[in-house]
Amino acid sequence: MKLINLPVVLRVQGWLLLIEATFMLAPIAVSCYYHEWPTAICFTYATLLTIIAGLMMARWLRPSPGTSMRRREGVLLTAIIWVFFSFFGMLPLLFTGTVDNVTDAFFETMSGFTTTGSSIIADVETLPRGVLFWRSMMQWIGGMGIILFTLAVLPMLNQKGGIALFNAEVTGITHERLRPRVSQTAKDLWLIYIILTITMTALLVKPMGWYDAVSHAMTTMATGGFSTKNAGLHFWNSYYVYGVAIVFMFLGGINFSLIYNASRGRFDRVRSNDTFRFYCFFTLLVAVVIFINMCVEGYASSDGDRAVFALFDTVAAITSTGLSTIDYETRGEFIAMILLVVIFFGGMAGSTSGGAKIDRFIVLLKNTLNEFYRVLHPNAVKTVRINGRALAHTLVAKVIAFLAIYVMVTIIAALVLTLYELPIVDSLYTSLAMVSNYGLGYGATAVPGGFAALPVAAKWMLAVEMLVGRLELFTVLVIFTPAFWRKD
Amino acid sequence: MKIVIAGAGQVGSHLAKMLSDEEQDIVVIDRDERNLAALDNYNLMTVRGSAVSFNDLKGAGVSGCDLFVAVTPYETRNIMACSIARSMGARHTVSRIENSELMAPRHKEYFNAIGVNDLIYPDYVASEEMANAMRRTWVRNWFELFDGQLIVVGVKLRANASLVGKRLRDLSDVSSFMHVCAIKRNREIIIPRGSDMIIVNDIAYIATTRDHIEEVVDVCGKVNIGVEKVMVMGGGPMTAQLLSMVGSRYRVKVIEPDYARCESLAEAFPNSSIVNGDARDTDLLEEEGIGDYDVFVALTDSSEANILGCMMAKEHGVRKTIADVENLQYINEAELLNIGTIINKKLIASSRIVQLMLDADTSNAKCLALADAEVAEIVIKDGWSSTRKAVKNLSLPDELTIAGMVRHGQGLLVNGDTVLQSGDHVVVFCLSGSLHKLEKSFK
Repeated sequence: MKLINLPVVLRVQGWLLLIEATFMLAPIAVSCYYHEWPTAICFTYATLLTIIAGLMMARWLRPSPGTSMRRREGVLLTAIIWVFFSFFGMLPLLFTGTVDNVTDAFFETMSGFTTTGSSIIADVETLPRGVLFWRSMMQWIGGMGIILFTLAVLPMLNQKGGIALFNAEVTGITHERLRPRVSQTAKDLWLIYIILTITMTALLVKPMGWYDAVSHAMTTMATGGFSTKNAGLHFWNSYYVYGVAIVFMFLGGINFSLIYNASRGRFDRVRSNDTFRFYCFFTLLVAVVIFINMCVEGYASSDGDRAVFALFDTVAAITSTGLSTIDYETRGEFIAMILLVVIFFGGMAGSTSGGAKIDRFIVLLKNTLNEFYRVLHPNAVKTVRINGRALAHTLVAKVIAFLAIYVMVTIIAALVLTLYELPIVDSLYTSLAMVSNYGLGYGATAVPGGFAALPVAAKWMLAVEMLVGRLELFTVLVIFTPAFWRKD
Repeated sequence: MKIVIAGAGQVGSHLAKMLSDEEQDIVVIDRDERNLAALDNYNLMTVRGSAVSFNDLKGAGVSGCDLFVAVTPYETRNIMACSIARSMGARHTVSRIENSELMAPRHKEYFNAIGVNDLIYPDYVASEEMANAMRRTWVRNWFELFDGQLIVVGVKLRANASLVGKRLRDLSDVSSFMHVCAIKRNREIIIPRGSDMIIVNDIAYIATTRDHIEEVVDVCGKVNIGVEKVMVMGGGPMTAQLLSMVGSRYRVKVIEPDYARCESLAEAFPNSSIVNGDARDTDLLEEEGIGDYDVFVALTDSSEANILGCMMAKEHGVRKTIADVENLQYINEAELLNIGTIINKKLIASSRIVQLMLDADTSNAKCLALADAEVAEIVIKDGWSSTRKAVKNLSLPDELTIAGMVRHGQGLLVNGDTVLQSGDHVVVFCLSGSLHKLEKSFK
């Protein structure tokens, strides 16, 4: 038996590319609506190419008999599909001339799908609306997950192999299922996601108009951060818009199975959820600290502005959305540093947010307290309790390993960036922004077009780092371990 | 169908995997995270919790489930769990028990009143199978369908069988009374086509009607031996169950190394002879006259010992051997080793439960499980496409074949030209995991 059944993996990729082609119909429609005919034609070419490639892979490749999707194929498929989606998703950007080289286009697309939100493009307002819509849409698809969408709509993945995919893509320490069959779980999650996106659009239509409202709803729910304006949400400069964005970013950072429970009227489960309570408490605490700091240092013009900006920046950071209200440099080092900590941990597992996830932070915190307690009482039996249940030791070990690898990945990528003469702080901040899918740079990378100025190799590395972060390290990194390719 | 299974032990997880492959909605509850982790890669949902906790059962969605199955290791807990589940709105509940007394029909009303709809006692079902095997020593499996109107038997074919060496399409002289619906060769089940040949050591699954059994015995080159003496190795609960079922029909000798167990058996079954000793000891076996026995049954707790015991008995000239093999992985190996009939309580229990599940379904199919295939019944309804075409034009999937049917209470075999009618009960032989395709294929 072959170690990895590559044809099986590629064949499913083919089917998935057809789904991507279907998604591309949306920007074509938008381009047509705004009479941007050249853009529409470029998108049509890209769609046709994607369909042809997808059909060829889906029809011509015959899987070797006897093996189906097993664990290795599942992991490989999940990791590779994001790369495939980015390769085909960047075609419209190249064809329309939005980006003039493959490196930048891939970086931009990967940044879209992983909901990182870092952009190569300095001036987005001059771009055709079709292209901007596709950027927003990429984030929306990537936010909930490509595989998860596929599980919801393609019955062929609804088998044993589909579970491996589900586990490889969904974030978190354990992978909670809402319903007995994984396709039902995927459908429920996407349904909630779609309903939230529509609600947000409806709320934003009045100040923004349809086009901007849909675009921003998609990128906000996905906690991605692409905008159709250079100034982002600042363009509208209204408390109402900020308020709506804060609420929906915050929702995007909540575990979607909790939202599912809330929608079923099971509020007791939401209220008694440790992680959720910590998430709310932590967000408020940081917002208050930033607010006080702003008052003391005299940033922003009024107390109202300070309150809104403090809350907005905190939520944007904790959910790794990466929308910002005011210029980074003028916020001061303390606020930048406190946001760095927030970005590191990110939102709740099972949400669309990035980062190492607040669930793991809680495990780390509780385990650390236990370790201190054990110094004084060596024979004490203490468990890490989450929601009233003791977390198994193996899972605690996995969380600690995750955090260690997370830091390692951040530092190694930052190390590479310093090779290109980026200052240490900028390198570390940028690297963390990639792996946590936050997306805003610092210093050299914070200026418009800052990412475009990076060397080619650095951009490819950062694109990979985004993917490593989005799929929570193990799914991508395990492919680079020798054991993955060795018969065991 | 939504099915909640309480207890992720061996029966529970086997059942969960099997039903999940059949595209049912499965939720498994267990208190032990490790048991649940083993099911992580299957298409089902796991809930950590107790089977007798109202909260945990509610969380598992028992209130809307079609079938609740309690297979935790404890009888009382199973009954309690069923009772709670039923009160919460489970449509049908099944509890595993360990006591044949509870199975008595007169208690049925009581159990229904407390919310337990069905009881499964694996030892009892297994003993029934063994009793069947003793009555018909020439078969490995015996499935009776529709009150015996139609019979499917699994027979190991030796060189003396007249079927051996022939292609299926050349079997016209026997096709009037029997139909070979599947062949098990080495480890694989084959649904044969006309061009397939039957070879030595195949296990053939043959459908026939009651009146033609003798002819099938003939063409298979078998002789049905009249059993008089039975030797049983091991004296556990299953042996006790078997003795209470067949102890008066045959002369039974039990060999059991544990003295206390021997004593309690001797107390309960004064007509059987109980010997204190280890049946793996050849001298003891010879001393007890192993050569005179017609059937050797190995029912110790160790599957390995049971397999070895049966092989030794075979060497001493016992014609029919029956072994309890509880490790699912060993079953295929054991079949290759020429053990007459293999009993596995897990398979038996889960096939009974699957049967209950299908009973509750409208398609009215029943099934009897083998290790990797099922025999199922389906009733043809008005307006299905299968009532308009001859069977050979139905384009049935490769994984299933029609074994026979019952029309107006009469068992009939089916050939390519038969046209099914509404109301026909059709018996289908299908490979595992294809049961859900059954109804679609005939509609």
